[in-house]
Amino acid sequence: MTVFITSSGHFLPGPPIDNEQIEPLLGLVHGKPSRLKRRILQSNGIKTRHYAIDANHNTTISNAGMAANAAEHCLSNSFLGKRQIKMLSAATSQGDIVLPGFGSMLQAELGLSDIELHSSHGICSSSMMALKAAFTNLLAGEQPNALVVASELTSRLFKASRYEAAGSELDFNAEFLRWMLSDGAGALLLETQPRGRCFRIDWIRSFSHADAYPVCMSVGYPGDNPQNRSWQDYATYAEAEAAGALLIRQDVRLLENIVKLGVDGYLRLISEGRVQPDKVDHVLCHYSSHYFRGKIFDMMQRAGVGIAEHKWYSNLYSRGNTGCASIFIMLDEFRRSQHYQNGATILCMVPESGRFNNAYMQLTVVEA
Amino acid sequence: MTEQVLSPQGQQCLQALMRVWFEFERQLGRVPLLQRLERGQFSKADYCQLLLNWRQQVIEGSRWISRCASSFDRDYSDVRSVIIGHAREEHRDYEMLEQDYVAAGGSLADIQSAPRNIGTEALHGFLMYRASQSNPVDLVGAMWIIEGLGQKMASDWAAQIDKTTDGDGSYSRFMRYHGANDDDHLQKLYQLLDRLCQSPAQLDAIVRTARVTARLYCLQLEEVDNEY
Repeated sequence: MTVFITSSGHFLPGPPIDNEQIEPLLGLVHGKPSRLKRRILQSNGIKTRHYAIDANHNTTISNAGMAANAAEHCLSNSFLGKRQIKMLSAATSQGDIVLPGFGSMLQAELGLSDIELHSSHGICSSSMMALKAAFTNLLAGEQPNALVVASELTSRLFKASRYEAAGSELDFNAEFLRWMLSDGAGALLLETQPRGRCFRIDWIRSFSHADAYPVCMSVGYPGDNPQNRSWQDYATYAEAEAAGALLIRQDVRLLENIVKLGVDGYLRLISEGRVQPDKVDHVLCHYSSHYFRGKIFDMMQRAGVGIAEHKWYSNLYSRGNTGCASIFIMLDEFRRSQHYQNGATILCMVPESGRFNNAYMQLTVVEA
Repeated sequence: MTEQVLSPQGQQCLQALMRVWFEFERQLGRVPLLQRLERGQFSKADYCQLLLNWRQQVIEGSRWISRCASSFDRDYSDVRSVIIGHAREEHRDYEMLEQDYVAAGGSLADIQSAPRNIGTEALHGFLMYRASQSNPVDLVGAMWIIEGLGQKMASDWAAQIDKTTDGDGSYSRFMRYHGANDDDHLQKLYQLLDRLCQSPAQLDAIVRTARVTARLYCLQLEEVDNEY
């Protein structure tokens, strides 16, 4: 059995927001402009992004709504109608509600009937896990097609009022992601038959290292947490919020490990014979920040398995870092806007810093 | 980054050594003492205990490097020179470590009289055994691990130790000092790799010795928590 990506779609809410417009939209924390903003934006290189909240902090579209729009966009370019979709595999770091699973909410929003459902939960790599679940389901002959959707609405966490509710001082780790993440959704359609020009999935692999590293990106722990207390361990949610346990945090000190672990997985795949660096025609890497692109690139060069700079494609700079949705949004735009030839090899990489899960995928361009 | 390993064999060896290093870092991430350091639940007493254990390996370290140098015969006289230089640079490092121990509140007599822990015995025994072989090419794998660890101490541990123990840098000098000559040391190591890794058999030996060194180093750090 062979599995192909036969269509793709994306959805980005609202107009593009440039660097000057971010803070007026997300709000001044305690009425004061951020002192870290410029530095973080300079390092991540992002120029514009999208938010599903407005300056009054109304949510303009739900997470499931964005996911549904991306899925509709994907289906509108495909050979299949909704009634023919057999599986939905969905990913997000945080749905609109805590339970039930994001996939259920998305299914209802999309109006898909009688499907097999999978929800994948995590951070940036959760989309790749959702994709792998669908891929293996098709490979096993269980279903002939699957819609895979990844969506993120993190801006709700970045409203000034959230930080204010968590007390007086904003620490670097809690503020960092405010200038990194934004909203959006991407979708892919998988089928066991090729359609026109499409991408064959050669393999998907991931390596997780949570046993060897502390938590690096999280929602649910307060800043200083000697007792390992989670947001659910407080008497009330109000207390959890006041303690800062509902803020999204990045342990910036640990973040550099992502480079080494990303390269480590790449070297493993080379030694397994799955990746042949000189045969790779296009690299789509979900790096969270331009800063890391250089680091990953250098380390690959140093190991003698570098891939020429002109083969790297990313739309991070214009679409923002949309967490797990990024790689799908990137693949969709690549598919629509870039030149690639039949037989070309595309290597996708998603190194996730949550607790260090690194996912990789190889695609080959085919023509049915 | 300008450092480059040039020969294809050396390049392959470098890739394998990078993977050994990444695996070593994950092993370190599972050592309870270092997990406590990461979490910030690490006291000055923990630090002193770490130095007390470490010193025994550092002071032996100059012995295996010197012996390694003397085990290279006339065909490797250039390598011998490089390694003698390295041994000379580092053979009194333990003194700085002892000063840190005293600055952190330990007594000089204690650190000087402490025995080697089980991991240190194994690591030292292994390195001395390898260094006693004729032309111990594989030891460049051990140097890779130990050099990498020096960088990790300087870039990672030293600041975290000062942070968790409220230090001002006055007792983490040994760890910090290892960052100072990084680039130079790395460059030498890359050159050694090119010079010493010229066959598949040599590659295997280098990678194997790097793996054993990494594992025994971890054992030494795991043993810091054990008192006998």
